[in-house]
Amino acid sequence: MIIILAVSSWVASAQVSTAVLKGTVIDAADGYPLIGVSVMLNGTKQGTVTDIDGSYELKVPQDKCEVVFSYVGYDDVVKAYTTKNASSFSRIVMSANAEQLADVVVTGVYERKKESFTGASATFKTDQLKAVGSSNVLQSLKTLDPSFKMMESTQFGSNPNVMPDIEIRGKTSVAGMKEEYGTDPNQPLFILDGFETTLETIMNLNMNRVASVTILKDAASTAIYGSKASNGVVVIETKAPARGRLQLSYKGDFGLSLADLSDYNLMNSREKLEFETLAGVYRDNTNDPFAQIRLDNLRNERLKEIERGVDTYWLSEPVRPGFTHKHNIYAEGGEDKIRYGIGLSLGNVAGVMKDSDRQTLEGNVDLIYRTGKFQFSNKLSINWLDVTNPTVSFAEYAYANPYYRKYNADDGIDKYLYYPEEGIDDYPVANPLWNAHLNNWDTASGFGFTNNFIFEWFVTKELRFRAKFGLTKQDDDEQTRLSPQHTQFDDSGETEKGLYTHTQIKELSYEGDVAVTFGKLFAKKHMVNAVGGFNFSNNHRQVYGYSATGFTDDQFDAPSFANGYPVGDSPDYNESLKRAASFYINGGYAYAERYLLDFNYRLDGASMFGTGNRFRNTWSVGTGWNIHKEPFMKDNDFFSLLKVRGSIGNPGNQNFSAYQAFSTYKFNGWMTNVFGTGVILNALGNADLAWQETTNYDIGADLTFWGERINMTLDYYWKHTDPLLAVITTPGSMGVTSVAMNAGSQKTRGWETSIRVSPVYKPSEGIIWNISFNATSAKSEYANIGNSFAALNESGKSSLVGTTRYYDGGSPTAIWAVRSAGIDPATGKELFIKKDGTYSFTYDVNDEVVVGDTQPKVEGLVGTSLYFKGLSVGCYLRYRWGGQVFNSSLFQKVENIGTQEVYNNQDKRALYDRWSENNRDAYFKGISLVQRTEKSSRFVMDDNSLVGESFNVGYEFPDKIARKMRIGAMNVQLTMSDVFRATSVRVERGIDYPFARTVTMSLGITF
Amino acid sequence: MKRIFAYMIAAALLTLTSCDAWLNVKPYDKMSEEELLSTEAGFIKLLNGIYIELNSDMLYGAALSVEMVEIMGGAYVIGTDNSVWGNYADLAAYKYQTDYWRARLNETWNKAYALILNCNLLLENLEKTTVKFSGDNYRVIKGEALALRAMLHFDMLRLFGPVYSQNPDAVAIPYYKKYSVTPNALLMASEVAAEVIRDLNEARILLANDPVRTSGTMTSAPADGSSTFMYYRNLRLNYYAVTALLARTGLYFGDREAAYDYSTEVIQASSDGIFPFVDKNLVIGSPDDPDRIFSSEVIFALSHSQRNKLFKGYYDPSRIPNYVFRMDNDLMNNIVYGGGATTGGHQDDYRYRVNWVATGANRYFYKYSDMVDAGSIQNTMIPMIRLGEMYLIAAESRSADIAAGVGFVNQLRSNRGVGNLSALTKELLQYEYIREMYGEGQLFFMYKRMYSPVIVSSTASKNPSPSNAVFVLPLPSSETDN
Repeated sequence: MIIILAVSSWVASAQVSTAVLKGTVIDAADGYPLIGVSVMLNGTKQGTVTDIDGSYELKVPQDKCEVVFSYVGYDDVVKAYTTKNASSFSRIVMSANAEQLADVVVTGVYERKKESFTGASATFKTDQLKAVGSSNVLQSLKTLDPSFKMMESTQFGSNPNVMPDIEIRGKTSVAGMKEEYGTDPNQPLFILDGFETTLETIMNLNMNRVASVTILKDAASTAIYGSKASNGVVVIETKAPARGRLQLSYKGDFGLSLADLSDYNLMNSREKLEFETLAGVYRDNTNDPFAQIRLDNLRNERLKEIERGVDTYWLSEPVRPGFTHKHNIYAEGGEDKIRYGIGLSLGNVAGVMKDSDRQTLEGNVDLIYRTGKFQFSNKLSINWLDVTNPTVSFAEYAYANPYYRKYNADDGIDKYLYYPEEGIDDYPVANPLWNAHLNNWDTASGFGFTNNFIFEWFVTKELRFRAKFGLTKQDDDEQTRLSPQHTQFDDSGETEKGLYTHTQIKELSYEGDVAVTFGKLFAKKHMVNAVGGFNFSNNHRQVYGYSATGFTDDQFDAPSFANGYPVGDSPDYNESLKRAASFYINGGYAYAERYLLDFNYRLDGASMFGTGNRFRNTWSVGTGWNIHKEPFMKDNDFFSLLKVRGSIGNPGNQNFSAYQAFSTYKFNGWMTNVFGTGVILNALGNADLAWQETTNYDIGADLTFWGERINMTLDYYWKHTDPLLAVITTPGSMGVTSVAMNAGSQKTRGWETSIRVSPVYKPSEGIIWNISFNATSAKSEYANIGNSFAALNESGKSSLVGTTRYYDGGSPTAIWAVRSAGIDPATGKELFIKKDGTYSFTYDVNDEVVVGDTQPKVEGLVGTSLYFKGLSVGCYLRYRWGGQVFNSSLFQKVENIGTQEVYNNQDKRALYDRWSENNRDAYFKGISLVQRTEKSSRFVMDDNSLVGESFNVGYEFPDKIARKMRIGAMNVQLTMSDVFRATSVRVERGIDYPFARTVTMSLGITF
Repeated sequence: MKRIFAYMIAAALLTLTSCDAWLNVKPYDKMSEEELLSTEAGFIKLLNGIYIELNSDMLYGAALSVEMVEIMGGAYVIGTDNSVWGNYADLAAYKYQTDYWRARLNETWNKAYALILNCNLLLENLEKTTVKFSGDNYRVIKGEALALRAMLHFDMLRLFGPVYSQNPDAVAIPYYKKYSVTPNALLMASEVAAEVIRDLNEARILLANDPVRTSGTMTSAPADGSSTFMYYRNLRLNYYAVTALLARTGLYFGDREAAYDYSTEVIQASSDGIFPFVDKNLVIGSPDDPDRIFSSEVIFALSHSQRNKLFKGYYDPSRIPNYVFRMDNDLMNNIVYGGGATTGGHQDDYRYRVNWVATGANRYFYKYSDMVDAGSIQNTMIPMIRLGEMYLIAAESRSADIAAGVGFVNQLRSNRGVGNLSALTKELLQYEYIREMYGEGQLFFMYKRMYSPVIVSSTASKNPSPSNAVFVLPLPSSETDN
């Protein structure tokens, strides 16, 4: 393929005792010439670099000497010149540095060999990610790393359009901040190709574009991100185009999702009617005989319907099998000087509820241009997003009673399943199908682009200069429409029916960074790495919105058909501008690859923080000891890696609102007077607000032994967030009812481990059997918060469901409730245990104690994978043990069914497990519509579970077959997610949107 | 290489120092304090904003003028029918602990202190500002802001504090003199009193050159269209308003001499023509369009652009079948505007003739009904302190013996078209208070100050006896919990 034209020659002369070596340097991988390779006479400063064709000419003394070929990212080639072997210099083959490609920790700012890195991190390659799932990077990461948690949302289930809450090593911030500020203060930092990005971008990113993902967990690895790093960092690198002739690849995922309704335990029509009868729905309390006759008739009507076989299963109505397909086409190629990649990704995710879709279209162009010591690379991606949400929540179907028919006699949809007669004081029951069949919609669309440009100057082999600039523009548009015939507008005036809302979000952000990187091995023992740089970023976000009302028609829904704006409504406009500027340095020193020392320092300034506290220092120190490199371990071939490491540092958190530091004012608006307009305080700022910072300690060990068959990582960590930043309710006399301030601290202690055992390990034959096990456990508590959260505690005590409390020494995940001794068989009343241990029938909220903790004692995954030639099989199970849950289904759908809730369908246990004269040992109180059940330990249950998170089978077609099919390579894979779920507690999950089980077929072809 | 590092570090340091300015971000959709208070106009707008907010329903726009506090002062007949009277029956029975009234009191409290915070932010910025103020504006702005802060604290003390004459050292309310992110402690009533007096005294000194002292209230805009800031002085806490507040606070805190000195100073100003008694012709000379609030006598009023809501929302007889606030018929007939010499009540009293209109068997209260000229400033005024009160204060404080003050009461009465009282008693003085300041939110405080029964009826046994349960409102739970 590559013909070496270079002819080497040398001229010897008696007078001139020099020779000229000529040749070409090529890449071992693909035979392409390498440009800019330094060719040096060893031990001198005499040398040259290869030109555009990879050729060089070097004058050497007519004597024995050594020539060193070096190139960034490649292993040095040292070749001895014997005065007679000049011809052998005509073709020099260099191979890419194996370590550079394999065990490297990519922090987004610098790269470091895993072996000499002192931080706690985990890196996963695209194959590993794809092997466990194909929906998105984060979903896979959750299966691979125990410290990375994607919170399951009982409320939103598997709604593809709701962004999950994500945590690395638990929470560092007080609950309630997300509600207050809209940003999740526990969310890790996401870095995509060296630039900060959003969770949504990562969720939308087509997995097939990803090259690797690195999770940075402890201070030593995250501190380089300073004040944004206390929640951990997820670094994602997309694939860079490969050299060579134009190569086209296609990757496709085809998935089928089905709603998982197994957690619903609703009554059938007969049961529901019986329950209502027992609850006294059909008994008139006023002793009015006419009223009693009406109720009897009503019951008989319903009974008749049941006898006719009416037992409607409403839950099947809003769900559908969701067919998801995603495609990615990537064309790449080029030679050494210029490389290009052009990709197109299409994603069409159909949720398990009707009208629940998410379509993404993404185009990207990657260009790399390299000349001599300079490299320019640019990644441009453009994305479109189209989102549809159902307008009737799943809960409304779960509420519908089974003794109603879906359709009327004419197969039409009635607006009401039951509408009380004139003068009857009863609630009408709306038909969920009515609102669903109307012309309502809830859509969003977005368009954005990101352009990231990187300039690199390889000053010398050791020294590199890099400048980056990234620009992201994202415009989103959200529109909702409720038809005028929607039941919500039953009581509205003619001109107030129907509602249209439009929200526009415009966001522009840019980030720039200049850095110098240095790395050199001195005296073959002292490895020194250093990075220093400056970074600035700017994020500007504007939100515009308005609503319109007064639609007269269901069908014609353009906003122009609206009658006007809702009375008293004004346009929304919100803006936030956040800026940050930082200076950072990182240094690493390794002595003989044995003793490791890393340090980081970063000075951050951010506009969110007050003038009194604008700048903040972040530092970290990490040390490590590669025991396996010690001389005394030299003869040991049992351990191929035995490293202990430790780190300490204080990364911070700035996921907070833009203008919390200073006071803002607004016009009175509602009135002016003879003096003109007036202005009053809008929000009180706190200029002395201190940055939330987390002191992070970590000790860990990495082990690989028994011929690489066992791989272990262990970490123990201790985090202390001090001060916490929280929105505190204040006495009204302060002039504001809440204020953002620093209050107290939170301590977290935890450990995590990942173990991989390969009972069969024959990589050369392509046969590997792995068993993996990972586990994590953490415990948190508050300290020094005193009475700051008294108001939150009070509102939690009085609310029906709140079981979280804020007390010193208390855990953020503790469940607080009054202990219950169960239902007294004699009376059917609940017997409570007071704080002092005595029993009482009287509920006193002040007897609350910790009755459980939602944080499991241990949680993780066990999995196994088998590679046999081209075939791979994998299976990952998630286990959770030792946690508790407050079973809100029991609390709200078994007891606490009031006069209004009784019209909703309920959990079967509300009928069967209730106390009565005949069922004295029941777990639940007798059926009553007026009795309020208080939060007690009776509803707190052990939450142990085993979930079949990911099963997969894959096959990589052998080259022979692929060639026959005239393609480069081909693989197929079948992945099943959330296949089964065994739990110790039965609680309704997916209230507004059900959970899904998914099977995906993935296909990858390279032409 | 070392050089490059040195350059890098130098560059980084340079950029970081210029960074601070770059990091100083100002919001566009809100006004930042720095921007707003960078001009004199900004301070004036903020001060005016506070005055405007006093018109809120939670404060003097309803709760502390015609509604909540006036019900507590026994001014209205309150029925028991829940569908008509809602929660008012609870309040008339002084059940402050119901969820509804706790929430309402909480709102009032929060709003008052929110405005105090605004005053404090204004004052603190005034303290450190480099803005050049024109004329006497700096002193006037500062004086008015101090007076507003004192007035709001004083009214919170009158509501939530102890009966001062009984228990001046009881723990009452906090007094906020500057913006703070940590709560201030509750002070004893007497400590609050000292702070109120201190602020008012300072305000009075700052307002010494108030144009009201020379040019009067100037209740029309300058003809040349220039700033109205120094006009309409009766709509601001002017020098005499502060003096009148000092008279009011002096009496409340038992400082009889101060009360007498300050009230007579205002009375003197009135005789000098600054707050003259209302022209008889504007009252009874124009029966179709009387000046019902006696606007010339109002020393300080709020200006509420929809003041008509007060009449329409609470007193308008066409509100029937909903609730309408009005006086008990027997109380009116036997005492307030009846009873002749024994009570001082006569139906030719101007205050009866312009403010009470009979519809059916009842008479309804028209003080807040609009004048014909829709644009008149009178239609926006909610009186906060008036000349009549100065006469009553002077009467009560002239001597320890209330009888000595009869002359002041008679002077007032002669300007109301009714004859002299032969002697003055506490009860007769109270009746005069009812006539003069009905619907202005002062009656409850008068009974609380005197620790006497709340007059709701002409039958003494029906009048609630003085007690802490009646007079001392519970502090909002946000104060006690946090």
